[in-house]
Amino acid sequence: MSFLLPCPHCGPRPVDEYACFGEVTTRPAGESPSLRDLTEYVYFRDNVAGVQREWWQHRDGCGEWFLAERDTRTNEVLSISEPEPAPPV
Amino acid sequence: MTELRFLSPSQCAEGSTASPLRRALDGAPEQVRDLSLQGVLELRGDIARVEAGEGEELVRLSPRRGFLFTPGDPFEAVARVRAAGVLAYDSTGALAGLALEGEQLMRRLTDLELTKLPAAGPFARVSALVLRDEGERFRVYVPQELGHDVALAVLDALAGLELAP
Amino acid sequence: MRLGPQPRELIDRSQRVLFTFDGRAAGGYTGDTIGSALYASGQRVFSRSFKYHRPRGLLCCSGHCPNCLMTVDSVPNVRVCVEPIRAGAVVEPQNVWGSLDRDALAVTDKIGGPFTPVGFYYRTMIRPRFMWPLYEKVLRNLAGLGKVDERHHGHSRYDVEHRRARVLVVGGGQSGRAAALAAATRGPGVVLVDEGMRLRGAELEGVEVLAPARALGIWEGGLVPVDAGGVLYRFRAERIVVATGALEQPLVFPGNDLVGVMLPDGVRRLIRDFAIRPASRAVVLASDDDALEVADELREAGVAVPRVVDLRTAPLGRIEAKGRRGRVSAAVLDGRAVECDLVVASAGRQPSYSLLAQAGARVEYEPSRGIFVPAELPAGFEALGAVTGEGCATVHPLRSSGARNGDKSFVCVCEDVTTKDVDRAIAEGFDSIELSKRYTTVTMGPCQGKLCQLASIRLYARTTGVSEATVGTTTARPPWAPVELGLLAGPHHEPARRSSIHFRHEEAGATIQWAGPWKRPYAYGEHPEDEVRAVHESLGVIDVSTLGKILVEGPQAVELLERLYPNRFGDMKPGRIRYGVITSDGGRIMDDGTIARLADDLFYVTTTSTGADAVTAWFEWWNAVWGYDAEIVNVTGALAAVNLAGPRAREALSRLVDDPDDVAGDAFRYLDAKELDVAGVPCLALRIGFVGELGYELHFASPAGEHLWDRLVAEGAWPFGLEPQRVLRLEKAHIIVGQDTDSESNLLSAGMSWLPKLEKDDFVGKLAVEHVARREEVERLVGFTMEEDVVPAEGAQVVIEGRPGGRVTSARRSEAVGAVIGLAWLPPERCEDGTRFEIRVDRRTVGARVRHGAFYDASGARMRA
Repeated sequence: MSFLLPCPHCGPRPVDEYACFGEVTTRPAGESPSLRDLTEYVYFRDNVAGVQREWWQHRDGCGEWFLAERDTRTNEVLSISEPEPAPPV
Repeated sequence: MTELRFLSPSQCAEGSTASPLRRALDGAPEQVRDLSLQGVLELRGDIARVEAGEGEELVRLSPRRGFLFTPGDPFEAVARVRAAGVLAYDSTGALAGLALEGEQLMRRLTDLELTKLPAAGPFARVSALVLRDEGERFRVYVPQELGHDVALAVLDALAGLELAP
Repeated sequence: MRLGPQPRELIDRSQRVLFTFDGRAAGGYTGDTIGSALYASGQRVFSRSFKYHRPRGLLCCSGHCPNCLMTVDSVPNVRVCVEPIRAGAVVEPQNVWGSLDRDALAVTDKIGGPFTPVGFYYRTMIRPRFMWPLYEKVLRNLAGLGKVDERHHGHSRYDVEHRRARVLVVGGGQSGRAAALAAATRGPGVVLVDEGMRLRGAELEGVEVLAPARALGIWEGGLVPVDAGGVLYRFRAERIVVATGALEQPLVFPGNDLVGVMLPDGVRRLIRDFAIRPASRAVVLASDDDALEVADELREAGVAVPRVVDLRTAPLGRIEAKGRRGRVSAAVLDGRAVECDLVVASAGRQPSYSLLAQAGARVEYEPSRGIFVPAELPAGFEALGAVTGEGCATVHPLRSSGARNGDKSFVCVCEDVTTKDVDRAIAEGFDSIELSKRYTTVTMGPCQGKLCQLASIRLYARTTGVSEATVGTTTARPPWAPVELGLLAGPHHEPARRSSIHFRHEEAGATIQWAGPWKRPYAYGEHPEDEVRAVHESLGVIDVSTLGKILVEGPQAVELLERLYPNRFGDMKPGRIRYGVITSDGGRIMDDGTIARLADDLFYVTTTSTGADAVTAWFEWWNAVWGYDAEIVNVTGALAAVNLAGPRAREALSRLVDDPDDVAGDAFRYLDAKELDVAGVPCLALRIGFVGELGYELHFASPAGEHLWDRLVAEGAWPFGLEPQRVLRLEKAHIIVGQDTDSESNLLSAGMSWLPKLEKDDFVGKLAVEHVARREEVERLVGFTMEEDVVPAEGAQVVIEGRPGGRVTSARRSEAVGAVIGLAWLPPERCEDGTRFEIRVDRRTVGARVRHGAFYDASGARMRA
């Protein structure tokens, strides 16, 4: 892998400067989920052949975290965005 | 309230601190100079609120992260920046610094675009902060615990360019 | 054998260069390649083939084919036809048992038939299974090309240089040079790469010329590594112009690999570049005007050319080369033999499109010209000249001899694949070109398809009765040109992390070992137990700068930490310390360490030595999800840390601080955190007890590392290393995450059910702990003592009633306990204090007993002293 990934702060950089934290997942909210739902969240990934949203960190650069939409077949990065955190009230 | 004095080499007794590069750079050619122990702060928060003072250099990595190089006492600079509402940490002891000369030497060690500095990125296989001064003069800061090997890699690259024995 | 001066020759006849070949003296001129010098001195056999050990001679003379691979100065697989001559070089033939002229393994060519058909070892050597190690040993010797000399390190150095270009032109022929010059008029940043010798030192205005240098391929993101001999240039370019030209394609006929069958360009190089008369009688089988010109050049060079055939206008049905001792002696054309010692033959030119295909260009077949051409280039790429198909065409490369028992027809000289092999693969059902490629290995040898892909596709099309367009090409992948692995690896730098005290340990004679990314002292002497004793009886000091150290600061620091850890922190007073464990949402124990509250909104977190980066990333990632108002700052490198431990620790520390009362027992209690100046160095002192004695962890600015270490040693503290620390912590039954726990462990099974505060709304791992608590317990981590004085290996099997029942994770001999102690995973019903079980040690089983709590100082009185 040698594709360029755009960092929101540093611009396009070789992908090996980044850490990938994988697909964006949804953590079960509210009351205790079933074992099946928990297992699904912890272990199962969609692993699509196509566009998926992922967590990335510019580990060797600014160090910031962001989200990228990447086509897993071509490594084309369609968009990047900064996370929109949602702290509990 | 702690002032995090234990982070500051400038608060240590005189003569008790030493550069992490002094062994690697012992007898090094003059193209390489040791900049470790020059004052620098790591900044977190709204970087736009930080004003660089006389002789200081602000490196902004993102709206919320940056470094401030200061010729003065970094411990005092921390207090000043914190008073402006930005978190600051004395990282003088965290970084090993090298002054280098020559674009080709830099290209042997980093993939960063030398026309787009300062920037953070890989240098000699470690994460670094790279700044450019006039002409072909550069400053490179790396984690001090990796500094010894980075300095050796720099000397090796110089040897590869037959610029040093 | 040299001709008179040629107008464009590359050699300098005034400068003789001597080297050795196969143990004998050899020579040539400056400007020669090793191959041209050998050829000029009469050498014709250059190598033995991969499978049949047939003699092979120069074929392309352009660095594409495998025929001239030799070992030069211990570097295997050097293409000597393009390797510049150098004085004193030691050149050895390879893939030879015996000599180039008499190779013992050439017998495989004669008995051939039953032993070496395609897929031979896939089918034959799978049974009986126990024979495989022997088969493998023999095959390893027979197969492959060249040998790595393990005592030799090849080039003395390999460098990597990161380069950028506005326009990168690959290929320095007419179109490439014109494109480079045109680009240069529009600004700087134009680089031209060419693999030949001709452009060496050439000057093109405004263009940086790299020659001889090879573009190895085009990787994702337009990365083009260029091998410039000892230096690898990693180019990223805004625009890439591919002008790689076209490659002459061999004709496929019986005997087409005999020594003396050459491609026209190769013959032309020998004459033009090196002023060599290549042979005395030549037959020319031409498929384009270039090849016809070679016939004229041969005549001018004094070579008799009894027969020239233009295959475009006079298509011969049957061609065969006849040989004596592997060297061509005659060409048989439609049944008529013509004596000769050189057959110049080509099927025409095929665009050299691989780099473009790697970059994503589509490739399509043009039936009228018999070639594949690149179509639809990706953005940022341009193709110019012959690579686009300009001036290219091929005749059908396949010819038969018509004779029933003719010689082999080679489709692929790299891997010794014949037309019969391809036919056989098709007959066996390998009905796609990609599968056939993997089965026959055609195109998978050193030339990477340069000389065999077209012929194999056309053979495939003819045999299966479909069009070449339908057969298609195989996927083009880098590298396009061969490269030494050392060059890809780059300089020998493996940066290690060293604490700022590190060199004091080396000076003290410590045994240094890797510990994750760090270099650390294993022990200072031959007897780690002496260092353990010093800590128990007097005073020891260990460098723990490697501990991960993280500041968490902000108005919501408590909220963030309480959600990251199962623990509570809101009830802690500033100046206090708590042990904490990080778990994942799957319940896995990820790391552990201490959390000191320095102020209401400021915490100082330590992690394991290997965990600093991962824990920092973990914290930051979660906070990117949650967005608490708190900053996470990794200060691992900023701070050195030492653990001063032993009954004398307080007394020693009191002599180094301004006011001894600061470290008095009630002023500095167990699990207190305090800022103290020690020997003039401001420290964050943490009173904790990982090693089980009264102890203080001092964290302070890294640059003061050696100073403070020296002062502590001067106070009588014995340096102790990792191994004594492992014994000390085991005596306290303190776990090491990742050694005593694994991905199956959780807080409950690891004996820390007291730790998670399940009444909290949420923390990472809470859902899993709740599920685990409801589930039947599977195993538990407990301490044990051995009944005999033997130390089981880490990972040793626990045996219960003759069956496997668990495993040992740590074990050491402890002088203080007077026994071998350890930690093991056992079934829950076997975990009662004192329960006996057995552990497998060296083919027997040894008894052990479960022991609850710490092995040493169970009440903790010593560390709380």
